[in-house]
Amino acid sequence: MAPFLNRREFLAGVAAMSMGGIAVAQDSGMATRGIKPQPRGKPSGLPFHARFTDVAAQAGLRAPIIYGPPDRMDYILESMGCGVAFLDYDNDGWLDIFLLSGTRREGPVEGATNRLYKNNRDGTFSDVTAKAGLVRQGWACGVTVGDFNNDGFDDIFISGWPQNILYRNNGDCTFTDVTEKAGLLHSGKRWGTGCTWVDYDRDGRLDLFVSNYLVFDFDKIPPAGKDPRCDYKGVPVNCGPRGLVPERPMLYHNNGDGTFTDVTARSGVGAVPAGFGLTAVAADLDTDGWQEIYVACDSTPSLLFHNRGDGTFAELGLQSGLAVNEDGSEQAGMGIAIGDFDLDGRLDALKTHFAEDTVALYRNTGHLGFDDVTMRSGLGVETRYVSWGDGIVDLDNDGLPDLFWVTGSVFPEVERKHPEFPHKSPRILFRNLGNGRFEELLDEAGPALAEPHASRGVAFGDFDNDGDLDILIMNMNEPPSLLRNDVSGGGHWLKVKLAGTRSNKSAIGSVVTVTYGEHRQVQAVMAASSYLSCGDRRLHFGLGKAETAEIEIAWPTGVRESFKAIPSNQLITVKEGAGIVARERFGA
Amino acid sequence: MMRMVAALMAVVLVSGATAQQSGVEAHLGRGTQLMQDNLFEAAAGEFEQAVAASPKDPRAHYQFAVCLLALGRNDEARSQFEQVQKLAGDSPYLEYYLGRLDLLSNDYASAIKRLGSVADKSPFPDGDFHLGVAYVSSGDVADGIKWLERAAKQSPNDYRVHYRLGRAYSSAGRDQEAARELELYARLRDEHKNKEKDVRDCAGALQTQPLPAAREVCRRMFDPNDPEKLTLLGQLYGDAGAFDDALNPLKRAVQLDPKSFDAWHNLGVTYFRLQRYAEARQPLETAVQLRPEFYGSVVLLGATLYMLGDDAAALPVLEQAHRLNPSDAQTTQVLEQLRAKQQRK
Repeated sequence: MAPFLNRREFLAGVAAMSMGGIAVAQDSGMATRGIKPQPRGKPSGLPFHARFTDVAAQAGLRAPIIYGPPDRMDYILESMGCGVAFLDYDNDGWLDIFLLSGTRREGPVEGATNRLYKNNRDGTFSDVTAKAGLVRQGWACGVTVGDFNNDGFDDIFISGWPQNILYRNNGDCTFTDVTEKAGLLHSGKRWGTGCTWVDYDRDGRLDLFVSNYLVFDFDKIPPAGKDPRCDYKGVPVNCGPRGLVPERPMLYHNNGDGTFTDVTARSGVGAVPAGFGLTAVAADLDTDGWQEIYVACDSTPSLLFHNRGDGTFAELGLQSGLAVNEDGSEQAGMGIAIGDFDLDGRLDALKTHFAEDTVALYRNTGHLGFDDVTMRSGLGVETRYVSWGDGIVDLDNDGLPDLFWVTGSVFPEVERKHPEFPHKSPRILFRNLGNGRFEELLDEAGPALAEPHASRGVAFGDFDNDGDLDILIMNMNEPPSLLRNDVSGGGHWLKVKLAGTRSNKSAIGSVVTVTYGEHRQVQAVMAASSYLSCGDRRLHFGLGKAETAEIEIAWPTGVRESFKAIPSNQLITVKEGAGIVARERFGA
Repeated sequence: MMRMVAALMAVVLVSGATAQQSGVEAHLGRGTQLMQDNLFEAAAGEFEQAVAASPKDPRAHYQFAVCLLALGRNDEARSQFEQVQKLAGDSPYLEYYLGRLDLLSNDYASAIKRLGSVADKSPFPDGDFHLGVAYVSSGDVADGIKWLERAAKQSPNDYRVHYRLGRAYSSAGRDQEAARELELYARLRDEHKNKEKDVRDCAGALQTQPLPAAREVCRRMFDPNDPEKLTLLGQLYGDAGAFDDALNPLKRAVQLDPKSFDAWHNLGVTYFRLQRYAEARQPLETAVQLRPEFYGSVVLLGATLYMLGDDAAALPVLEQAHRLNPSDAQTTQVLEQLRAKQQRK
């Protein structure tokens, strides 16, 4: 028999039963919903015909990209990393590579520099940084590539802290820093992040949009461990962005004489509330012929600048649905991809965020309206990692654009206490099932996807000219990854390269619609996307079983051209007003 | 929280065929407690065991389904709700949840049909909101606006509703109304964020600073017109052991929102912890009326009555607590004593 329990003893036992406890969310400095992944459904069992192998080392991309200390990130500047670019700086028809770099607070690091690699056309690259005049060490962040002076050669703009840089391509495989001459040198320290060339006034010259992240100074921000409020999962971490001072973006008008004028105020771009701006992309999202600018903001509402067509913009992030998620909550916007995942001829958007949150997939419903379809498209199964550079890209040439993004923590210290938040994490690939839904592929696309890295920027392009999309990735304090895609399955493809005449020569801002089989897919020629990165300007369309396609081009000037019954498996070059001026069958 | 309370009420409503096995009751009680603590994975485990123990008990399937929906396991949730339908027939609760699942799987026509069928008798306050979203998603923006406007009237402080309504106005080209709603959304969202910050600051201060200093920080949370904020403030003080400080906000909270289970429960706990048992009785009785399946309130009410010496009243309450949590040895022991005492009489 149990011993007698008096009222006092019973009281003592029950008193442990207390109030309904409340979970007090910690202020991690990043907007995250703290959501768990949805369960994965039954695999479709469909074969996936793309296979990725990391060939960076054998291709000669062996230098590590220095960005802060290798084992910790004391300051937010050390954690955000930088972008990468595929470009053809020498116009030889083969993609070259430009890699940004950071440095370390303690002082210069030997070998740390932005790097230009020339494509040797045999699967390897040569480091031509010094020869090209591009050796420079600093905190580079974003990159946008375009021919701002319409001389036929791609120029490079780099955003960063404390200063941005404009390199003019001299046309002889060298570059000149023309930042000051162009009027782009700003006073004081500023942290430029997203940047994109955009001909916002359709005058045939590329203007420049730069987003700024936050006010940063090593001497004014406490390092990790010095401010008790800067904490993630009980581990002291670097501070920000919340709690630090947000910034506003800037817009520079190209005067056509090699100089730019700051039109931030006049254009309305400067009228928005300050936010933590990161990746910026420019594309005509409402098909009115004028390019919008969409800025992913980290833990503040993202911005959509609607181009009014009169040199001014109206910020319509909330009205459009692109500012926040479907619950009306802001997310930690990092990267943006633009593409037509549902093949309805409208440009959709994919935005990446922090761990314990989903990415956001926005379906364009027309008239500058977007629906957040993240959960209903099956993307809620993946919330484990901090996500960065991304793409809406057809990786297996089945005619259905897939979703790809890279991941990596900003708090390497947390892993020791919480192994479920690793510093290095895998790449994420969702295959498009064609019914508005996606399926995450964990092992089906080759070992390179599962390899863990702390990655940031990503660029998509066909570096080996074999008719598929390869992937270039920035890894923090490691060499980059170059994922060579080897597609089987016989899916057809078509690449479209545009050359402007009345429009800017890079044709940035053009929109190409390709109709193949039952599908109609639109893509935009952009100068930046993913995370602070710039991809191949040759648009790549997987066509699936279709052997021919129809093409319609809307040039930035408003001119439209169309071409019927274009055979697949070739790169066509279209010159504005002159039609198809070149056809190339790779490997032939 | 409202949804969970209503879900628990629904359990009572659909329990026509109540299999009174103590194992089922225990699993349901523990699962409910775990849901209350937002431990959904663990709760699902309890409900799954309840289903296994009594597969014909619609309550078990229903609880399991609600929990699965919270976990985003939508296909499994649907299957469990359909099981409830087979066992207990149709109910507005099932129509509501199946309608929401239809919405999540892009079947807007079915979502509209189901949510529309219970629109005027929706068991949950956000039924109109989901119906509005379903209409907008289906392309019928005009009807979507109608239901979202109703939802906004019903939940004037829910920023999600105003965001959706603002977007719907924007889609319909009603720009002025869109601007007004989105402005309201932004203000409510800011208030929500400020509230979160106040909670964090207050909790941090109570953990790290002496009580007089922490009170200065927590004072920001005292909004005499916001029952939710007042309840949170009372909970924070209670969690820090500052029960005297918890009383005022909780008393004000139950005045403002007499249907708030959290406020009544916490007020009862506070009086109990202050050993003011006579004053603890009524708040705990109200809490138990609002949520008869919540073990924490039931056992505290039983203990309160026991401490007041009202053994006759304590006995059935502690029996209910024991059914909800048979593994509580102390309750079992006291129950045995009370039963023996009653038999002696």
